Amino acid sequence: MSLILKNVSVTTEKDGVILDDISFEFKPGRIYILIGRTTSGKTSLMRAIAGLLPIDSGQITMNGEDFEDKPIWERDVAVVYQQFINYPNKSVLQNVEFPLLRKGLKKSEAREVALASINKVGLGDYLDRKPAQLSGGQQQRVALARSLSRQSHIMLLDEPLMNLDYKLREQLRVEFKELFNSQKDAVTIYATTEPPEALILGAEILVMHEGRIIQYGSPTEVYEQPQSTTVARVISDPPMSILPVSLSAGEIRFGDGYSQPIPAKMKNFKEGHYQVGIRANDIVSAKSGGEKGTISLVEVSGSETLVYVDTPAGEVVLQMEGIHDVKVGESISIELPGNRLFLFETNGALCVSPDSAGE
Amino acid sequence: MYKVLKATFITIWSLFVLFPIMWAITTSFKPESAVVNGATFIPFLEYQPSLIGWKAILPGPDSLTNLLTPTLNSFIVTAGATAVSLIFGSLAAYGLSRFTYGWKNYSNADIIFFFVSQRIMPPVVLAIPFFLLLKELKLLDTHLGLILVLTSGLMPIVVWLMVDFFNALPREIDEMAMLEGCNPIQAFFRTILPLSKPGLTVAGMFCVIFGWNDIFFALTLTATKVLTLPVAVIALNGTVTPYWILAASTVFSIIPLVGLAFVIERFLSRGNLGGAVR
Amino acid sequence: MAKITLSNIGHSYNKDKDQSTWALKPLDMVWESGKTYALLGPSGCGKTTILNTISGLVTPHQGRLLFDDQDVTDVPTAQRNIAQVFQFPTIYRSMSVFENLSFPLVCRGWKPEKIKARVHEIAEILEITDKLGRSAVKLGADEKQLISLGRGLVRDDVSALLMDEPLTVIDPQSKFELRKKIKAINKINNLTVIYVTHDQYEAMTFADELLVMSFGEVIQRGTPEQLFEKPNSKYVGNFIGSPAMNFLPVEAKSSEIYFGSTKLKTSSAHTAVTGKAIEVGIRPEYVSLVTGTGENVIEAELLGHDDLGSVRVLKCVSGGFPISVKIQRNEGLPAGKNLFLKLPSEKSWLYQDGHLA
Repeated sequence: MSLILKNVSVTTEKDGVILDDISFEFKPGRIYILIGRTTSGKTSLMRAIAGLLPIDSGQITMNGEDFEDKPIWERDVAVVYQQFINYPNKSVLQNVEFPLLRKGLKKSEAREVALASINKVGLGDYLDRKPAQLSGGQQQRVALARSLSRQSHIMLLDEPLMNLDYKLREQLRVEFKELFNSQKDAVTIYATTEPPEALILGAEILVMHEGRIIQYGSPTEVYEQPQSTTVARVISDPPMSILPVSLSAGEIRFGDGYSQPIPAKMKNFKEGHYQVGIRANDIVSAKSGGEKGTISLVEVSGSETLVYVDTPAGEVVLQMEGIHDVKVGESISIELPGNRLFLFETNGALCVSPDSAGE
Repeated sequence: MYKVLKATFITIWSLFVLFPIMWAITTSFKPESAVVNGATFIPFLEYQPSLIGWKAILPGPDSLTNLLTPTLNSFIVTAGATAVSLIFGSLAAYGLSRFTYGWKNYSNADIIFFFVSQRIMPPVVLAIPFFLLLKELKLLDTHLGLILVLTSGLMPIVVWLMVDFFNALPREIDEMAMLEGCNPIQAFFRTILPLSKPGLTVAGMFCVIFGWNDIFFALTLTATKVLTLPVAVIALNGTVTPYWILAASTVFSIIPLVGLAFVIERFLSRGNLGGAVR
Repeated sequence: MAKITLSNIGHSYNKDKDQSTWALKPLDMVWESGKTYALLGPSGCGKTTILNTISGLVTPHQGRLLFDDQDVTDVPTAQRNIAQVFQFPTIYRSMSVFENLSFPLVCRGWKPEKIKARVHEIAEILEITDKLGRSAVKLGADEKQLISLGRGLVRDDVSALLMDEPLTVIDPQSKFELRKKIKAINKINNLTVIYVTHDQYEAMTFADELLVMSFGEVIQRGTPEQLFEKPNSKYVGNFIGSPAMNFLPVEAKSSEIYFGSTKLKTSSAHTAVTGKAIEVGIRPEYVSLVTGTGENVIEAELLGHDDLGSVRVLKCVSGGFPISVKIQRNEGLPAGKNLFLKLPSEKSWLYQDGHLA
């Protein structure tokens, strides 16, 4: 009873390889988050599942049934797009009823189901409005209601909150979580570029990069043990600082700059060149000692201050709690606590991740 | 100052454009005496309006020629050609907009050009081939024959306009319709077509105007059975016909188009264009 | 670079007499030269109307607009010397990056050598010198947006730089880089920048001053710190900060404040509030977990948490009212469901009828 992709690849003349040998089993009743940069293949993967993008090789099966010979309209896949796509000439009610009627429901049944799902997304008072008369958030809810009411076995959401106001996004994220959890037999796949969104929806995370799935795991796993620098960059906001280091004679040296004793966990690695990564909130500004650098930018976000520091080893971003009176151009000393460092090979593969904090 | 200049210019230009039409309309209501004894302008004062011109072109005791039969022919031919062009033209355009066709180096753009290219040749070049073709098909001097020939000229316009129009509609709409259980044909008729009213109106308008005004093919490919209105009016011109009758026949032949213009203007200004997809 | 003065500017798109329906209610405002201002609010709050009034796309229904001391209310857009960056990159598709950047100068009849020097100077700042020869169409969205910005910057006659949600189409990961560059540029060129956004984070990091708007009115104006620390209304408290500020209904009894049976101290004068609809506002960032009862400590039950990466938001309920607490990831999750929350008095404020007391 699950959606299985086997060695799915797609290459187009225009964009080259867009899906590269993807194999994955999506189980019903779970929410899968696809996270990655804009061109990482998230949308293409969804389009391939829906049948909107023909695959060159590989196999897609749902409940053991091969999708190859099934045209789009027989696959029963619900999609919510980034743009709020509704039928502009139909009212809210008609929009939601339309797919139900196509499915062969009786007029009265369709109306009942449609009304239920419109009420679920909180649009009960807007039944007769045309999409153009609704706000962006409401339009996206219509699209959502239309997809939910169908009770499809596969539900795909492609950055559905992308074009909405910030506060509305916060609100809908929470609503989404509840709505998806009520879909017990459906495979839900949700694409996003925003790490907080991926983490909040609290599901299985698939990190995509250049048409491949490069890591799969729970939010905690992906966040605390990114298997490569690419994953670390995609899942960290504010960004993780990644610096070249060398290990030798019991010391870890940052670029050509300062060095500190090798943290216990890295003792067993042989000497040579590596990269370390450290999250912005783990860096500590020090009175003295540590790495020296010049502040290149300060951003205040209410309770936190983000400070960009140019150091001899490279650029470092640190996040300080509270509002700090630091100025661009000043020099600052920072400390990179050894027990908070991720160690990566020079090719980006993870060697050591710090212990998960306080748990 | 600028406003005055603008108003003056517009007034003069409108007079210039409208004068021949005004002249035709007034002349159509003049009796013989008001036309032959020098120019007269003001009705009731300078001349007594009369309907003798109009009586001559409509059936009745004073009839010189009956324009109603040619009018009916024109209706049939124009409506037929417009309908066929719109139906097949928009389907073709939808296909060209949403799917990729090709053979070797030729792609959608070339197919569209192929359609449009049919309008490049002057009709004269096509007259003889069409004549021979219709003769073989035994369709000379039939409604169907003329409809087919006109369609060959109108459909390219529809395809050309509608491809652009469909390209402007988000692909996601019909993708979604397919995801929601419509096959491509259903997706077209249930979601895209209702959204295409403005485009279809414009394309249809072009078809009606070109079809109604066609004289060349009607003249060469029909004889007596399918006499269309423009041909009948021109035929009047060739004989010794008084001016008031000519004027009446001209005015008569443009009435349907003027009526259509008003209907369409209503439709367009009612704001029926809003599809609003974000 | 100019000081911008809005004097009693108001606008109604349908020329309604009733001012309560105006898209922009009459307002007086002075924006100083060389500073960055952010207009922040949800769609339809009037922020774009202000922007269009300044650029001249909208002629205000009433009031005057001044650049320095010159009245420009009736001056056409083209003569106002405004540089504007829109939501979507505006580039000349047929031109190279260099041609794109030099176009405004060519239009102004600059000499070729001078143009070349200026374009290279700007390209240097934007870090796109190596891309000058490329065709502009082939660049990514973030680079295209940089070029749109660059076209505004090359001119030496710009009175103000207006940005209308310029980061909407940019990836979060590239957003960081782009935001950094825009900020650096603003500092270097000392421009008067007006930045419109619905994203509070963008507004806070970019601007020297923020104007929070709602229904055509400026609700609060201030530095990011002021808005965060002491929002003047529940609206601002909700809009600024993520998650929103906590508001707990309280009672005032003989100039003491009680939440349920717990006495709370706040930074507001307790005599300022009387009667009903009183609430205590406190940021989730400032609520801390403590081990037992004490001053300003309330008991709460933990319902669940949201993982935001470096921080977590605990969702709690106390006396039937929701309260969120933001904690650092390294602090770990609390053991057990029953928590003691300290609401530091120096970070708590009283609100009555939705406004700061």
